[in-house]
Amino acid sequence: MSRESSGRSGQEEGKGKGKGKGKEEEEEEERASKKYVRTFIYSMRVGTPVEKLHAITKIAMILFFSVIAIYMFDIPFSRGGPDLLGLILLLSIVLILLAVARTAKYLVSSYLIMALPVLIGEFLWWLVFNQGLAGPRIPLYVWPGYFPIGVSTGLAVLAFALVYLRSGRLFSSALLAALLWFACVVPAPLDGPPFTFYRIPASPAVIIQVPQEAVDLALAKALGYGVLIYAAFLFLLTTRDAEIVGALLQLKVKFKQAFFAALMFRNLNTILLDYDNVRVAQRARAAAAGRNPLKRVIDLGYMSVPLIASMIKRSTEMGVALHARGFETAGTVTQYRETRSFTYVDAVIISLLLFFLVYVVIMGNSFTSLAARWGIWPR
Amino acid sequence: MNVNKGSDYPWASYGLAWNPKKGLGSSQYALYATQTAVIVVLSYLSVVLLGPLSYSGISLFYFVYPFFMVFSMWWGLWGMIAAYVGCVIGAGLMVGLGVVPSLAYSVADLVPPLAAFVIYRGVLSKRGIDPLFRDLVEREISGYKTNRAAAWFWFILINGVIFNFVSAELGVGIQYAMGLVPPSAFWLWWWGWAIGDLAALVLITPVIVKGLSGLVERAGLINLGWISRRCCG
Repeated sequence: MSRESSGRSGQEEGKGKGKGKGKEEEEEEERASKKYVRTFIYSMRVGTPVEKLHAITKIAMILFFSVIAIYMFDIPFSRGGPDLLGLILLLSIVLILLAVARTAKYLVSSYLIMALPVLIGEFLWWLVFNQGLAGPRIPLYVWPGYFPIGVSTGLAVLAFALVYLRSGRLFSSALLAALLWFACVVPAPLDGPPFTFYRIPASPAVIIQVPQEAVDLALAKALGYGVLIYAAFLFLLTTRDAEIVGALLQLKVKFKQAFFAALMFRNLNTILLDYDNVRVAQRARAAAAGRNPLKRVIDLGYMSVPLIASMIKRSTEMGVALHARGFETAGTVTQYRETRSFTYVDAVIISLLLFFLVYVVIMGNSFTSLAARWGIWPR
Repeated sequence: MNVNKGSDYPWASYGLAWNPKKGLGSSQYALYATQTAVIVVLSYLSVVLLGPLSYSGISLFYFVYPFFMVFSMWWGLWGMIAAYVGCVIGAGLMVGLGVVPSLAYSVADLVPPLAAFVIYRGVLSKRGIDPLFRDLVEREISGYKTNRAAAWFWFILINGVIFNFVSAELGVGIQYAMGLVPPSAFWLWWWGWAIGDLAALVLITPVIVKGLSGLVERAGLINLGWISRRCCG
């Protein structure tokens, strides 16, 4: 992650300023001359609609999405239950924004494998820990009692091969393949010809029944958690540290406080690189080889010693450089170059989010109930 | 047994004054910002490296806990800010927890360093316990013979049990109230939090203290009070 970011960061250095133009035009040209800029995680392409949004708008987006998602998956069953449709809508909006920001490809290749088990785990977690809920119990086939040979088996093998070739992780690949196989076997229409053309009997079937409400709740939690995860990624993949500092200055935060935030964000990547270096150096010295888990834990502590020592050394050097540039006596500072104006698009988006929040959270509306009333969603 | 008065201990200058040396120097700004970044990164790794042993930002081995406890003892309020910000960004936003739950449950990481700072610097330091935790690993500090058994007793009781359990109650409780932890799984994660943090504290703190406390103190980087340290350059 950090290496890729720093690799791309070389492209972000702007070159040259036009002559005889206004300052704003020059800044716009300078921004446009860059193809990619570094963000908190990885880098983003310049010029996409999401990139052009103000940092405050992006913060407002994850703030509103978080509040609405938490509200939607927590609606009690006495008031109609979790708003599944609303959560699907919210997740779709977040995924569309990720696609518009042209970060979806990176997200799929880097974080999908990490995020999917989290969401599946979230679903299973809530399913297992909510067996006492009311409602009719629906069957879930954990083990059908035979090995199906057919489309499901082919899909499972293909998924295993693709994920294993991509990630090299046996456990994740097997887990994904098993889940896919399971999902293909459980729906009754798929459990027979032409999708399943041969069954190898293995043992008696094991059937586990769960309450309908537990399934709804688990699904809502998984969807809601998906909104939280991908909204956070949307922010981290499309926001620069400099934008945050620019926004802080616009919000009249004192320069030294904004500078503190800038220093912190600037150092995140450097610390990750330092951590990687220390870890590699430790591994080269066989520090963690063949040790028991307790020793490995203590190794984490030993790893921290050079990490913190280098942090202190670097901060001392930075302090000297700042002192030499008169940081302590600095009064008024020049305009921060990354400060951007708050446009009408930002205002419209924040207004829409506010409307959404009021409609759902304050007025207590549920998209699922609304769709059920219109007859396009089962009651 | 030592019969020192409170003011005779080698750590007597580390107290609870708000800002004993007025003003922050540029090197302090850089140091405090960088240590915050370190805590953010370690918080992130504490959750991500554990894989299936972490859930909703809660890790069953949150190994950053001893780091921000030690940093708070060294750098006062700045260490506590690092603990909170580190949890919000590293163990919240960067692992996909929304901004509202992150801001709320991170309070759980602010309480232990804050309370420990007050107890150690305000009370225990005057009764022969080093507020920088060096007596956990050193037999002698600047000619003063330490009481390691007492140091370990208070360390585990205060940081490992009382404040840590309060932290677990706050953290898991807030996530439970926000609907992020299932009711039947509450105690699983509560005990996971408490025991995981306790283990990390007991195993990693001595390593950090032995390797770095002397270095940091010799460099004059320890805060005399909440905000500032000995020199402001």
